Amino acid sequence: MAPKPVMSPIPMHLYPAVSALLLVVGLLVSAFFFIYEATTSTRNRSLAKELVTATIASGFLGFGSLFLLLATGVYV
Amino acid sequence: MPPVRGCKHSSSQGPVTTFEVIGPITSPASDLQGHPHSLGCLLLDARRFAGRKRTSRRPSIPVQLDPVRFRTWPEISRSGVKYWKAKTSEASRRRRDGKENEIRGRHGDRSAPPPLLLSFTPICLFYAGDSSPQRGEKDRLDFANRKGFLDFEGTSDVNLNCLFFPPNVENYGAPEVPEILIAFSPTESEHLAILKASTVEGKRKKKTYVPLSVSPVSSPDAPNGAQLYSVTLRSPLQSGEMTTVETLYVLTHSLEPFPTEISQSEPQLVYYRDSATILSPYTIVEQTVYIKTPSSKVESYTKVEPTARSGSETRYGPYHDRLPYSFSPVIVHFENNNPFAVVEELVREIEISHWGNLQIRDHYRLKHAGARHKGVFSRTMAAWGYFYWVYDTYAKHPCRLDYQFRQSLSASFKTLLAMLPPRVHSVYYRDDIGNISSSHLRINSQKSELEIEPRYPLFGGWKATFTIGYGLPLQDFLFESSDGRRYLNFSFGCPLIETVVDDLTVKVSLLVLFCFGKFYTLNSINVTSYLSIVILPEGSRNPTAAVPFPVNQHLETTYSYLDVVGRTTLVLQKRNVVPEHNYPFQVYYDFNPIFMLAEPLMLVSSVFLFFVAYIAYVHIDLSIRRPLKTNS
Repeated sequence: MAPKPVMSPIPMHLYPAVSALLLVVGLLVSAFFFIYEATTSTRNRSLAKELVTATIASGFLGFGSLFLLLATGVYV
Repeated sequence: MPPVRGCKHSSSQGPVTTFEVIGPITSPASDLQGHPHSLGCLLLDARRFAGRKRTSRRPSIPVQLDPVRFRTWPEISRSGVKYWKAKTSEASRRRRDGKENEIRGRHGDRSAPPPLLLSFTPICLFYAGDSSPQRGEKDRLDFANRKGFLDFEGTSDVNLNCLFFPPNVENYGAPEVPEILIAFSPTESEHLAILKASTVEGKRKKKTYVPLSVSPVSSPDAPNGAQLYSVTLRSPLQSGEMTTVETLYVLTHSLEPFPTEISQSEPQLVYYRDSATILSPYTIVEQTVYIKTPSSKVESYTKVEPTARSGSETRYGPYHDRLPYSFSPVIVHFENNNPFAVVEELVREIEISHWGNLQIRDHYRLKHAGARHKGVFSRTMAAWGYFYWVYDTYAKHPCRLDYQFRQSLSASFKTLLAMLPPRVHSVYYRDDIGNISSSHLRINSQKSELEIEPRYPLFGGWKATFTIGYGLPLQDFLFESSDGRRYLNFSFGCPLIETVVDDLTVKVSLLVLFCFGKFYTLNSINVTSYLSIVILPEGSRNPTAAVPFPVNQHLETTYSYLDVVGRTTLVLQKRNVVPEHNYPFQVYYDFNPIFMLAEPLMLVSSVFLFFVAYIAYVHIDLSIRRPLKTNS
């Protein structure tokens, strides 16, 4: 039985595309977050909305930066 | 003009023309009086015949030069050597001027040739299987027709001696013998890099080689500290039976350059010391030794009758009925201009990233271990030496004899070749100064060849330090075994071909996770570590290595990108590594793929921390002014 080779979970030739996509989405969400912070006044702010937006944005940005590192050759 | 006789004949290297001067060689002036030639031509002729005075037989002038051979300098040098060597005979060497002999360090007295002649007896030293071979009782395991081949043909190093023994072992009366002992002298066993044995099965066309296991045997009672190794036979040898076993062993650092210092243009001569009779605890019925040198230029060799030498092969033997442990030291002094590249220290770092890449960094300390270089190093002569030789040979200027360049440029080397696996990417070759651009990479589907040129050609005693790094796709080397453990299958040894490594260290790094109170064991050490938080993903536990030959192992921790705890590194260390050690070895470890998420989660959490900090900053009121009161 031939031993099974171990491969990365996402095909390697997709790394640049995946990183670009995730980073773009992450930046869009973080832009929404900052616009929300800038436009609403202190009394109308909703902490839950802030936190949810921050979570989504950090998730996309984190994964996007990981794939950016992998795409440029820094195999972490 | 003195009469000149020229003859043209063909030799193995192609048609060559030899010019011989017949008759008394008179001084140019008296001979050429009234000659119609011009002064310039007269001088040319004078130089020619003045040169003739010294040697009656000049190196032959190659009539045809293969234009293809002008491509690279090393190729030119080797082809020229062949032409030159074809005609240089022992007699003409003897008649060479004394000054040359001084340069080489040879003794002028030719009447007593140094007793150098290395004969090498057949390869295998078989020791019959008794744990304590008794002297009183004749060893019943006799060897018939032992032939040994010592082949220096392809070896350029100080180090590599590949010896092949196909002896026939016959059991003359002992009870069945399960193993055969091979003996080495203490100096040989110090330098022994690898010892392999195999039996031959089948007849001529269907020969198959079945490897046998070899293990060292402690032998405190062997005379003069001889070391014994035992070869386990597949089936014990019965009384009266005969079997054939082939062994191959490689000795490192066993060619001693003599003279120890040579100038840039001199060829390199080396001593090889060995025994005309094979060291063996058995009685050898018949043995013969053949020594094959890389060229037919053998300075001297010890004569132990019967001895014969033809071309590049020297034969000692056959000898009959030698006693056990008989040893007749011989020395062969021959020319060996192959590059003696020795890597003093090689550190290989293999970094496994489960995202798809295997990164390898090799740190080399290279040394030229041949005869040390003395005198000046002229880079122009090194580069243009061939053309100096042409000018020198054709012009025959007597003053140029000091600078006579043998075309081999002695044993210096400029390039090295490294064999890398196929599908390699991001190859770099640099040292402490920076990138070294003199390298070529050729990739094909089976292998990649990296040809590197250090910043300067390496002469005797010179060193170079550099780093080669490259990346490989993970699926070629990392596999999952049937019991769920992952293993890395990689080749041990140095990718540089035809080099010997004195000290090789291989470091394999894996990411380690200490997670949620899991225990792990490292090799035979029981270590218990309890952590309650996730620090790094890619939990790799229980690293073990499976290497076909003995190495020293220990564990370390290295820190790399996005590391907090550090990666467990398995370090394998071995001395005296030769190209025969390029076997694949495996490193097994446990790994849970869910732990690959730890790296992106670390990045996510750091970005989230930034957002949370911003939210906190926005919500916290740090003003000193009293807040505005509402109207009551």
